[in-house]
Amino acid sequence: MVPDPRDHPLIAMADSSPHEASFIEMRQIDKSFGAVHALDGAGLELRRGEIHGLLGGNGAGKTTLMNVLYGLYRADSGDILKDGAPVEIRSPKDALDHGIGMVHQRFLQIETFTVVENVVLGETLEHRWRLDLGPERQRIEQLSSRFGLQADPKATVASLPMGVRQRVEILKALFRGVRLLILDEPTTNLTPQEVDSLFASLRTMVDQGMTVVFITHKLREVMAVCDRISVLRNGRHMMTVARHEAQEERLIHEMVGDELDVASSLVFADRATPTPQAGKKDLPPALQVSDLNVVDKKEILVIREVSFEVGQGEILGIAGVAGNGQKALVESLLNIRPRLRGQVMLSTTDATALDTRRLLEAGMAYIPEDRFRDGSLPSASVADNLILGAQRQAPYAKRGLLNSDVVQQSARDLIAQYSIRTQGPSEVAARLSGGNLQRMLIARAFARPVRILIAHNPTGGLDIASVEFVYRQLLERCRQGMACLLVSDDLDELLLLCHRLAVIYRGALVGEVTRESYDKYEIGRMMSGATAGD
Amino acid sequence: MTERTRSAGWTTAAGQIAPYILAILVAFAVAGLVIGLMGFNVPKAYATILFTSFRTHNGFINTLNKWVPLILQALAFTVPLTAGKFNIGGEGQLIAGAVGAAAVGIVFAGQPAVVLLPLVLAAGALMGMLWVLLPSVLLYRFSINEILTTVLMNFVAFEFIDYVATQVWPDPAAGHPTTLPIGAGGWLPLLISRPPLHSGIILGLLVGGAVYLYTSRTSAGYELMATGANSRASRVFGINVRRMFFLSLLAGGAIGGLSGAIEVAGVQHRLIEGLQSNYLLLGIIIGLIARGDNLAVPFVAFFISVLEVGASAMQRTLQIPSEMVLIVEALVLLFVLLSDVIRRR
Repeated sequence: MVPDPRDHPLIAMADSSPHEASFIEMRQIDKSFGAVHALDGAGLELRRGEIHGLLGGNGAGKTTLMNVLYGLYRADSGDILKDGAPVEIRSPKDALDHGIGMVHQRFLQIETFTVVENVVLGETLEHRWRLDLGPERQRIEQLSSRFGLQADPKATVASLPMGVRQRVEILKALFRGVRLLILDEPTTNLTPQEVDSLFASLRTMVDQGMTVVFITHKLREVMAVCDRISVLRNGRHMMTVARHEAQEERLIHEMVGDELDVASSLVFADRATPTPQAGKKDLPPALQVSDLNVVDKKEILVIREVSFEVGQGEILGIAGVAGNGQKALVESLLNIRPRLRGQVMLSTTDATALDTRRLLEAGMAYIPEDRFRDGSLPSASVADNLILGAQRQAPYAKRGLLNSDVVQQSARDLIAQYSIRTQGPSEVAARLSGGNLQRMLIARAFARPVRILIAHNPTGGLDIASVEFVYRQLLERCRQGMACLLVSDDLDELLLLCHRLAVIYRGALVGEVTRESYDKYEIGRMMSGATAGD
Repeated sequence: MTERTRSAGWTTAAGQIAPYILAILVAFAVAGLVIGLMGFNVPKAYATILFTSFRTHNGFINTLNKWVPLILQALAFTVPLTAGKFNIGGEGQLIAGAVGAAAVGIVFAGQPAVVLLPLVLAAGALMGMLWVLLPSVLLYRFSINEILTTVLMNFVAFEFIDYVATQVWPDPAAGHPTTLPIGAGGWLPLLISRPPLHSGIILGLLVGGAVYLYTSRTSAGYELMATGANSRASRVFGINVRRMFFLSLLAGGAIGGLSGAIEVAGVQHRLIEGLQSNYLLLGIIIGLIARGDNLAVPFVAFFISVLEVGASAMQRTLQIPSEMVLIVEALVLLFVLLSDVIRRR
């Protein structure tokens, strides 16, 4: 067993010294996609035996930089050095030959194959004429136990939880003998328990001399596990610092620049957010759902006997690993997807029989998860996008005729109020950036009197300033009495904002916690299917 | 989509028109090269194509008469396209509309114009709608691709008109499958009698204006546009998109049928096999050059109408095959589409 390198006196001394030999170095990397300058002279220096945190908001260029290193993108200019000598990486195969592996956010796995079959895919087998995967299985088992990456080699990948599927992805890289492992946002979709176990495995790897690059936008995670931290912003390398010398405020500042007042920001607040007032108990709940059941196209039950209520002014969070029925839940509430059974009450009126348009008219608002596919009309103007769903309502329309003056004026107001960066109401939505598109969706949801907002991953893929904006709007509206059902894959977001949390697992609500008794690990247990009290 | 995005100002309007002008110039240059290689006089050919419509009285009236079916056939294509659906059955709808108009015009031949003319036109629109009903129902109920079904209905229409013109009301004196004439009360009044300009042009422009106002100024038109822009998002925000698909196809069919009725009531005064000319093809070319923009359709249709009239004149006077102009039209479309690709870079 190799001792922890940080305990080693020589290494500990050399920790932050610039003279320590670097393993991989990227210098002055430039990369443009059309008009977008994704990387602007970015650099990164990685050493053996370290977990290197690559920190930055969405769009900072973290993934792009690592895709260049992994050979998925060719840099427009810049150098990559390995042990001081320039190397040419043109493809992932080149990268693997240099011992560089990468695990992407979206796993590249064949669901009907077993773990072994997925791991060895594309490799030369020992018994290639008999399809006997015995030797490979043994090697995988060795790697599993050596790095604490438990995964049954014979299990079919489709049957495994996300945490295990990620281990399979890491095993794929280890099986190919990588010395540098790049993980892109690896904690997305993991329960807190799975995150801990991942971090322990990463520590074992670097203890044995490997290097790990950990891409994330979460400050807390880099502080928890990384040895050194580099910050990227707007495609530029801002700073690199050893963890024990790192100051959180400085890191945040480098991440966001001057765009955001860090001291008062919600994104970096640690549960210490001013708790908005809890649901008004004496009033009828804004939304009450009982015994909701939904089947998918193959008649399989995807939502089972779900019941809950959201009080006025309350934010109810739905936590869960992605793919446990969240989308079916929100879409069936809005009657976009037909319900098999169940009752939906809006305040005191029965809304079970209302179709989507009537529900929107009755005060439901929806921010869909996929803002491109489900949320916007790319070829239509911003003004037209802002009235989607209200095209028959006053003041935009009267007896079936649109009042284009009102539509244009209200668009101008909303653009100003929600800081949507656009040339004006007539610009087509396809030209808006992701963050601005999301602002547009939020503006649309809030442009009318809303009683209950249903928001599904409203901050996914947003830059930090936009996330902050979404949080503020949400809390402000709830302070005024709006109820909100917040369905999110980001547990930290839910813990920060929600009064109450319900956990969804395989289409059923398996537990509920109130803000006073939030326990991340307890919630994590429920997210992985263990019922409360197990 | 149309008026709202356009209102961005003159600079963007100029930026939108520039690629068209460039496309036309390049298309003519390429066609000129071909005409030259075939050994014809290129400047003379150009002059004939472009100026026939404006040099003589006859040419101009011909252009206007040709303009009407082109506007309507293009709208029969672009109205469903606004909702994202492709109606490739304009030809069948034209024929069905013509048959309907002729049937009413023959059966009620004795009726006065106040009764017969509206009846003839309505019968045409109704038959066009009927002709697209089967594809619409198949799309609505079973999501069967409308491109296929609308095209196939064209072939049914060819047999249909043949049957009506040779078996039901054949004109034994004609050497070509033709019916008896419709009653004079069913004729569209002439605006100018010599050369004849029939009042179908008013109908064509009225329909064009109505379509534009409907799609840009009404809630229902907004829903049509939204469905075409992103049917999934439209559904998520409460629009019944399948109904939009269905209704847009029916509207397209009615417009296509009306174009057939106008050919009967305004031009032929009887049903003649082949009266559909190549209007479907030209209608689709016009619709695509206009990029599906209902407001642009009449303008593009006028341009194509000028080319078509010029082409016939060119064939008559210079013996250059009129198909040359079809090549020009196709090239304009090609270069307009190409300019989209280039602009996206």
